[in-house]
Amino acid sequence: MMRRPASVLLSIVALLLAIDAGLLAAGQVRRNEMARTLPLLHSMTAALGLTDLCVATEARYTRHPAVSDPVVPFMDHPAAMEHFPTGSFWTPTIRP
Amino acid sequence: MNAAFEKHCNILDYALSALWRRRLKNGGILMVFAAVIFLVASFQLVTSALTETAGKVLAAAPEITVQRMSAGRQEAIPLAYGDRLHEIFGIRATVPRIWGYYFDEVRGANYTVLGVAPDMPQADGLGKAVSGSVPWPLGQGRVVLGRAAAATLELQPRQLFSFFRPDLSLKPMTVAGVFRPETELLTADLIAMPLADARDLFGIPASQATDLCVYVANPAEIVTIAEKISKILPDTRVLTRPQIQKTYQVVFGWRSGFASVCLLAALAAFAILAWDKASGLSPEERREIAILKILGWETSDILALRFWEGGLVAGLAFLLGITLAYFHVVFGGAALFKPVLVGWSVLQPTLSLAPPVTLKEVLLLLAFTVLPYLAVTVIPAWRAASVPAESALSG
Amino acid sequence: MLIELENVTKVYNQGRSNEVQALTEVSLAIAPQTMVCLKGPSGSGKSTLLSIIGCIFAPTSGRATIAGKPLARLPDRFLTVHRRATIGFIFQRFNILPALSVAENIVLPLLPLGVSPKARRERAGALMDQLAIRHREHFPAGQISGGELQRVAIARALINDPPIILADEPTAHLDSRLSREFMQIMADLKAAGKTIVITSHDPLVTEHAAIDRVIGVKDGRIDVP
Repeated sequence: MMRRPASVLLSIVALLLAIDAGLLAAGQVRRNEMARTLPLLHSMTAALGLTDLCVATEARYTRHPAVSDPVVPFMDHPAAMEHFPTGSFWTPTIRP
Repeated sequence: MNAAFEKHCNILDYALSALWRRRLKNGGILMVFAAVIFLVASFQLVTSALTETAGKVLAAAPEITVQRMSAGRQEAIPLAYGDRLHEIFGIRATVPRIWGYYFDEVRGANYTVLGVAPDMPQADGLGKAVSGSVPWPLGQGRVVLGRAAAATLELQPRQLFSFFRPDLSLKPMTVAGVFRPETELLTADLIAMPLADARDLFGIPASQATDLCVYVANPAEIVTIAEKISKILPDTRVLTRPQIQKTYQVVFGWRSGFASVCLLAALAAFAILAWDKASGLSPEERREIAILKILGWETSDILALRFWEGGLVAGLAFLLGITLAYFHVVFGGAALFKPVLVGWSVLQPTLSLAPPVTLKEVLLLLAFTVLPYLAVTVIPAWRAASVPAESALSG
Repeated sequence: MLIELENVTKVYNQGRSNEVQALTEVSLAIAPQTMVCLKGPSGSGKSTLLSIIGCIFAPTSGRATIAGKPLARLPDRFLTVHRRATIGFIFQRFNILPALSVAENIVLPLLPLGVSPKARRERAGALMDQLAIRHREHFPAGQISGGELQRVAIARALINDPPIILADEPTAHLDSRLSREFMQIMADLKAAGKTIVITSHDPLVTEHAAIDRVIGVKDGRIDVP
């Protein structure tokens, strides 16, 4: 006997939601682990005087956006175009 | 079962059958919509993970950082500037910092070299951040490497390597240890060494430093003291901890080049979907609706049918898109974004992201993707429901 | 009388520049268990008359009472509710949805009534057995023969067990064999108690023995009562 379409839909939605629940649970485990290392990261940041996360290491203004001035992407030449891929992901820091 | 509930189940069944009948087209729409949501949700998750992590971790960043500027660029700061700050009441300590970048021409890698000053806050606890037991403070010529830096230098089993000073003489260094993997988001490219060794490597005179870290007695006075420093040292740029933290709230935005391209692609895809929906009913669709109306389907039933059709595609696409996005970011290390996230970096940290997922963010994403799509189906649905029943008759 | 129309007039787009008077003061009465044929050329107002009898819309003026309910007082929603309980439609070219299966086509009128899948299967099954199309139950309707299509249309019209069957030019695209078959089924339904109104100018219909009355429609008026 054919199942009604709404039942099939319900099964698919339930499956997706179950997968989501599993993913969120696994993600939460990771968040808990990261929360446990936070005191260590705090003390490191203080001891080393760190100001930025290490994500992109190709250009100084994406490696240290917090302490770079807006001119840095164009320091090679007055008319130089910004040529690092990460510059398209990390927006320039404009400080008042 | 209640007849009204059964009626809605019947209409839902019919909508599902109708979608299945045109499954190639609807499958295509579903995939495109899911891809759009995947892109937008992935960007949102990556940036919120980094922003949240930065917000938490950088709460311990130096309270005030003073950089010397010349012709709009940063230059080494005289240590005498630090002496002048003693005039300001409320400053607890001023610590000179030496750090910079070393470009490894052989490997094309940029390392961040950091001189560790013994009088930085919590400096004596740094040993805990290093794998194995490393005596702290570091002895002369001994360095601690970040994981990615260690991997790039490919030293194993050697512990000795050399960098070039500005005069091209070699400075030998010995690896004392590697920072623990859980600190990678801060230390991946770091080479930490005693302050004197960093000064020696970069050739910075004894009277200068890269910048000054200023610590205040009362954190509530950070901004006031920063203003005073700016007045006393007009050729400097003064950065406060709140400004540093704020950077990571604004550095990821929808105005960045990459995000704009994603958004444009999403908008273009959405416009195509919306055009398809709004471009009116085909003769077959008009005929089908007229027949249904004569057979006893009310206008509200036709409306419900059309909304179900739109809602099912949008809803399923949304679920699929966000599921894939979460998997991509959390378990896939945001692999699809890595080319723009890290660019040409030779040194790449392992991105272990765990973004927060709040109901508010999910609803916001829903409001920006699914609701506009449903709104676009309103007019065609109303048009469909307005097809006169008698048009199915011969005339 | 099951169907009563008294001085019924229907005007489309009243008050506008494209106003059209489709029916003018039409009066007719149809008794239960009779088969009546409405005959007239294209544009004569047959379809408008059929739409009023079929409770698709109410007349602009005059009285129309179908199965005891005066149409003029019924809002659109209740017209629909009354129609699906009272009228079974058989269209010209049958208007079957080709992508749906035979069984799915037959049960279309049951969906908005909240009839469960089990009940739908039972009712459709009984009709398919009666009309000898059970073997085509799961076939896509677009892939069955003309004769089978005809029976599917009839089954769909009967699924709600309505007292009135309306057939709009049902034999216009059928050969004479299928037309005769169709009229035979209509005669059987009349004998079973249904009231049937057919619009047609096919002699195979108008001159059939089961037809009790032929009503001519011309220029929006009844020509031959």
